[in-house]
Amino acid sequence: MTATTPTPRTTPTDPATTVTAVPTTAAVATAASVGNKPNGQSIIDPVNRIEGHLRIDMEVKDGIVDDVWISGGLFRGMELVLEKRRTADAAYISQRICGVCPVSHAHASAIAGDKSYGITIPNGARIIRNLVEGAQFLHSHILWFYNLAALDYVNPLNALSADVAETVKLANSAGTTEADFAGLKARLKAFADNGQLSIFSGNWFDSKELDGSSAYKLPAELDLIATMHYLEALEMQATASEISGIIGGKMPHIMTSIPGGSAFVPTEEKLDDLLFRAIKLRDWVKNTMIPDTLAIVPFYMDEFNYGGNAGNYIAWGVFEAPSFKPEERYLPGGVWSFKEPGYQQVQNWDEELITESTIHSFYDPAIDNGTPIKPRQGITAPLYKDEYMVPNGQHPAQGARYTWDKAPRYDNKVFEAGGLARLLVAYNRKVPEIVEGIDNVLKALGAEGRVELLNSTMGRTGARNIETLYVATKMVDWVNELIEAIKGGNAATFIEPATRTGEGAGMWEAPRGALYHYMKIKDDLIEKYQIIIPSSWNISPRDGDDRHGPMEESLLGCPVEDVAKPIHALRAVHSFDPCVACAVHVSEPATGRKFSVVTNPWGVK
Amino acid sequence: MVETQANVARLDELLERKGVTRRRFLEFCGAIAVSLGLSEALIPTVHEAIAESVIGKETGALTPVIWLELASCTGCTESFAQVDTPDVATVVLELISLNYSETLSAGAGFSLEEAKEQTIEAGGYLVVIEGALMEGWDGNALRIANEKGTEIVKHACANAKAVICAGSCAVDGGWQAGYPNPGGAIGIQSFLTREQAAGSFTYKGGDGNLPPIINVPTCPANPEHMVAVIVDVLLVGKLPDLNSQNKPSLIFSQYIHDNCPRRGHFENGEFVYQFGSEEEKKGYCLYAMGCKGPQTKNNCPIVRWNRRVSWCVEAGAPCIGCAVSDPATTKNNWVDLNAPFLKRFRNLNIGDIRLQPATLAAAVGGIAAVLLVAHAFGMKATGRTKGGADFERQRKWDMQHPDRAIASAPAVTGGASEEDNGTPAATAAENEESKADSKEGGTQ
Repeated sequence: MTATTPTPRTTPTDPATTVTAVPTTAAVATAASVGNKPNGQSIIDPVNRIEGHLRIDMEVKDGIVDDVWISGGLFRGMELVLEKRRTADAAYISQRICGVCPVSHAHASAIAGDKSYGITIPNGARIIRNLVEGAQFLHSHILWFYNLAALDYVNPLNALSADVAETVKLANSAGTTEADFAGLKARLKAFADNGQLSIFSGNWFDSKELDGSSAYKLPAELDLIATMHYLEALEMQATASEISGIIGGKMPHIMTSIPGGSAFVPTEEKLDDLLFRAIKLRDWVKNTMIPDTLAIVPFYMDEFNYGGNAGNYIAWGVFEAPSFKPEERYLPGGVWSFKEPGYQQVQNWDEELITESTIHSFYDPAIDNGTPIKPRQGITAPLYKDEYMVPNGQHPAQGARYTWDKAPRYDNKVFEAGGLARLLVAYNRKVPEIVEGIDNVLKALGAEGRVELLNSTMGRTGARNIETLYVATKMVDWVNELIEAIKGGNAATFIEPATRTGEGAGMWEAPRGALYHYMKIKDDLIEKYQIIIPSSWNISPRDGDDRHGPMEESLLGCPVEDVAKPIHALRAVHSFDPCVACAVHVSEPATGRKFSVVTNPWGVK
Repeated sequence: MVETQANVARLDELLERKGVTRRRFLEFCGAIAVSLGLSEALIPTVHEAIAESVIGKETGALTPVIWLELASCTGCTESFAQVDTPDVATVVLELISLNYSETLSAGAGFSLEEAKEQTIEAGGYLVVIEGALMEGWDGNALRIANEKGTEIVKHACANAKAVICAGSCAVDGGWQAGYPNPGGAIGIQSFLTREQAAGSFTYKGGDGNLPPIINVPTCPANPEHMVAVIVDVLLVGKLPDLNSQNKPSLIFSQYIHDNCPRRGHFENGEFVYQFGSEEEKKGYCLYAMGCKGPQTKNNCPIVRWNRRVSWCVEAGAPCIGCAVSDPATTKNNWVDLNAPFLKRFRNLNIGDIRLQPATLAAAVGGIAAVLLVAHAFGMKATGRTKGGADFERQRKWDMQHPDRAIASAPAVTGGASEEDNGTPAATAAENEESKADSKEGGTQ
């Protein structure tokens, strides 16, 4: 039952022993010395507070995750639906792959379309796309940290026992914003008195560490502050989406980013709507989100010990610079690794080095024997067989196909995508604000210069908040850039292509990481479409060499006190912010199915 | 003994061998357990699972809600999270008890599934379904908690007060049902209707009827609509008036075109022909860019999006008709009916038959447009649009692009008689709907 793990697992050297200046529980230190450690199967299915359906199946030995199988539970078939449709239709349809990061899909598709048309979009369109992408990043990161991930660390029900006066003092000393804490406490009390648990049904707030202490470590006062900001965050993510709504018509699923540029025309009346929302968001991230992070993280320093993996990172890059070079994007593209020879200096990416394996995925073995395939040559076909069904109480067998997700690799190595990957690439490309952000946060946590600590559950979680501040700051700059472009007459938004036959890849970033759309078009009709999603990299199954994907590897070694509530594993999974619906799809089919398109006069009305 | 996923899994396996699902087992817990000869150790575990509530009180001031995500992009949940009338925190703390939501719930895995089970057992709950149901590979295209989506839907709907289908995917499969429908997407109403006819679904309170179904299409569902359906239903105490497709009548009875702020330009024959053009800056009508507003029933121009800051046409994008949906079939999904979105003709898939009447399409499209322009001149001449939008008697764009100008399209007879009858697409959908109507009797 135990699969081999050829890549040695790398755990950051134990910060708990060196990072002593900050409060931390003794969970790590005592893990090995406490008896009654559970053994057996531990399953999280469904994983909550993510996009899509994800199953985590773990084998626990002496209270530690010993092996793991991650499985995406849904097949939809986006690429098949896109074939033989119009180039621009792909930007509209493909973003429906994910309601959390639709803008990124629209942009990756539009860039693939731009390249197929052989055009470079005008300056105004570049800035507008950056703005709507940035709005989505802010929406996604704020929602993810406060409303999805935070409930692994914050217990709103515990906030009921907070002392309001102490809460105000704590908020002041932590440098985070004050609010009507008494009112919130009364609201929570009314909720608790009613007795129905609503979104707290089936909660894991009673999770324990191996030493029997609570896995939820915040003082009640900090729980109350964080709960207040949970509610504020709901407002702020909506404010960010208002920017997407102004530019895109609606969010989720924007309407204006299409091959050729943008359908949005930035008239004067819209500029103030954009500017003041951007300023509001930047100030909130600076004054609330960052201080909250620095207040909460010290209680969970042990999470720097878990969730690490080989430490290889890819980013295609996002937020187009005037040069249109991926390595000069505001969050630049690049490939970097803590240890892998050849990648310890950041490299530019090369599309040719991407391959996908389906040897452990639900695809037709007759057509795809598991040989890694370059995406432009993708020929996989979906096929589910009854024998893939894993009986309850068992793990997938050795060598079995166990997920709808495929296993992308870069240069035949396992790579992680996401916020942490982008930040480490930017850090090594010396983007000043990112270098400053990472250095300052590590210093504040008493771990100055220890960048390797970021290869962990907490590192991945905290990195996103540094990125949030960077994007929020840039958003204000970009609105001003747009205003200047309009003043200078350099704000054109759309360019008509001369030809509508060609091919091209849109390599971009969703909030969750490196995103790849490829299309080949003839006379404006799509002949071939291929997508590789960030979470495909992260939740990927084993590959042909039986190497775990990044998230699988990150779960190995996580402590499990209760196989029914493996809280450290859940935190590690959430740190990737997996987005599963989009991860599971199919490339170019070889199933013999045909898609016939005719045009007809219907619809002229 | 604390119940763990591990020993529950072993129990499931034992039960499976006996041909009994865990759920049914729980219903007849105790005596059956003994008769099955399960080990003594497992019996208290099962009792505990029932005795220990993970949802708090079964009833109280809040209406219990189970929000199922099937083949979804989570866009409808995301959309719902943007609402401010009231905000989503007020909804989940003070109006409904959202006992199961893969996106918002604090719990995960087994304890979250248990919350759903306990809610279903207690009854009196609403089910919100987001995303299409997938029937591909005998339902294995969608598995959650090691169970097929098809089974999850039947189980959750059987005891529900009402079923709310959020978004076009849950109504008729949405984009996932787009040709060739690779995962076998189907809408909830079609699925339950068929399963009931086949005797494999029975609604507990039903007397042979389906549970009340409320279809709230659009991609994603507009949160204002969802609040109207969920919260207002709670405030008023009865389901909204539904049309023959079980869509709320007040929302889905008028065409977007009917309420479009750019309608004046349409009446004047003033169209945008290219993005980024002067015409677009002036806010002219997007009809020539393929806008599906004239054939899509929704009130987007009135409720707008994202706390009413804008909507598609205001941002400069032609409507793509994402609310077009037909709960009776997957064939009329909005992608197949409306793509190509930026053209005034659409794709048609008839098996493998391939016709290319593109020229005809352009010609007939031209006729309709010519008639519209004639109509616009007529309107202007008769003074019916007096004081309306700017009117270009000789349109600059037309003169510069004589080959693409609507007014210069060749006058061909025939094919234009449908002008005032609504689109064939809408007509086809409505025919289907009346068929479904006679079968279903709708909802009350």
